[in-house]
Amino acid sequence: MNTNHQGGLALMRATWLSWMQHRSFFFILAFGWMMQPLIFMFVWATAAGDQTVGGLTRGEIVAYYLTLILVNQITYSQTNWTVGDLIRGGDMNRLLLLPMSPLYNTLAAELAGKVVYLTFVLPITVGLALLLKPEFNLTAVSLIAFLPALLLAWLLRFLWGYALALLAFWAARADALLAVQDALVFLLAGQAAPMLLLPPLLRTLAVILPFRYMVGFPAEVLTGQLDAAQLAFGFAMQIGWLAVTVLLYQLMWRRGVRQYTAVGG
Amino acid sequence: MMHLRLIRTFISASAQEEAAYRANFAISLLHSLLNFATGLLGLGIIYGQVPAIQGWDYASALAVLGVYLTVSALRGLMMGPSLDALAGMDGEVWRGAFDFTLLRPVRTQFLVSVRKWRLFTLFDLLLGLLVLGTAVARLQVTLTFYQLAAFLLALAAGLLVLYAILLAAASLVFWDPGLMVGWVFDSLFQMARYPVGLYPGWLRLMLTWVIPVGFITTIPAAALSEGLSWGLLGGSLAFALVLTVGASWLFRVGLRRYASASS
Repeated sequence: MNTNHQGGLALMRATWLSWMQHRSFFFILAFGWMMQPLIFMFVWATAAGDQTVGGLTRGEIVAYYLTLILVNQITYSQTNWTVGDLIRGGDMNRLLLLPMSPLYNTLAAELAGKVVYLTFVLPITVGLALLLKPEFNLTAVSLIAFLPALLLAWLLRFLWGYALALLAFWAARADALLAVQDALVFLLAGQAAPMLLLPPLLRTLAVILPFRYMVGFPAEVLTGQLDAAQLAFGFAMQIGWLAVTVLLYQLMWRRGVRQYTAVGG
Repeated sequence: MMHLRLIRTFISASAQEEAAYRANFAISLLHSLLNFATGLLGLGIIYGQVPAIQGWDYASALAVLGVYLTVSALRGLMMGPSLDALAGMDGEVWRGAFDFTLLRPVRTQFLVSVRKWRLFTLFDLLLGLLVLGTAVARLQVTLTFYQLAAFLLALAAGLLVLYAILLAAASLVFWDPGLMVGWVFDSLFQMARYPVGLYPGWLRLMLTWVIPVGFITTIPAAALSEGLSWGLLGGSLAFALVLTVGASWLFRVGLRRYASASS
């Protein structure tokens, strides 16, 4: 494995510039990803009305979901889909010949995508915030803890997606599994409901499985839904799942690339 | 008569095409079941916390979900794939293959609306009807003949509204092949999964009058849970007809703008 960082940086810049040319296409995609959390924000906010639901007021629910929309967009990993296509289509050949790890190529697309998507999602979220009056109870702890939680969430979601996408080395239709993952993210990562509002069985699953730590956890941290012990436990789970995912990625990459054969590219 | 025979031919051709990709069957099955399960669980999570939202209890919201699944299945059966073949990404207008369709000796709007079928969605239809049946059982109402007739009429009106929107969105391809209005509508259509009553007031108005997804699912479901007045039923039928006529007109204007891009 090679470590040509300068080449990696140049690639990231080039990828970003090419992505900005197709803005409207990506804006429409980003709009689609916002829809699920928006729907559930409206439903829960209507359910709360002037009272509370599960201890959360209408304003707190709006604050949670607006944060979640941003976190979801920042951590969203398209890699899930694109890397599998590269392997299936044989385009991976070209990347393997470059004097740097193919991970850089994916990282470049990720960063370019994030900037493009955020130029759309950020103004909309701010607009919604002005319209819907969220109640943020920010504390020093929640602000300081949010950034590392977000960074870990992104790393975890990115590497997890990459490792899953590498299944394409073995099975042509491995992306069917991604539909299962999307369903689990919807139910357990805080989109259908903040973790506090999930029924007991789903809540236990959410706490154990990695999906909450990819999306919901940073939003819970920023909106102050967790006490100190829950916060520490959450970080421990994030780091633990990240370690597992790194091992998984390395294992899959080494095994997979060894038995990869393709024509053309 | 000829139209019916044509539709039969389209169906059997599509069935043969689908049968050629048998591995896709299992994957489609998985997608259908996941869509079904997440819809039900989403609703279950909400009503695990509150007994009713603005008068909509679990059973009546379940009826809306049932209508949503049914309507989505009917859309995926024929309207969706047909119009996608015209105006979707890599569709005929995009590739310049639309000339061959124009030359066929049938009305073009008929042809582009019914020529592709996806028979697998009959399974989705089954799931939708299952949810609808469960909802009716839970509502504990005895359906009168009038209620059932009103439901079917409102459902037909909803399907027409959906068809009109999809046709209008597809027609825009003649102005700009890169325009993806259909995708934006798809995202907004997600909101039809739950009753419009579950959304705040301004959004409810928008979902009824601006992007009329409320007509597609909430009104037919309300026919089962609380009954519709003659005025509302007649109104939504008239609205559906107006939209369909408008969309057909837009399609014809678009057709006239079409300048062949192929040889």
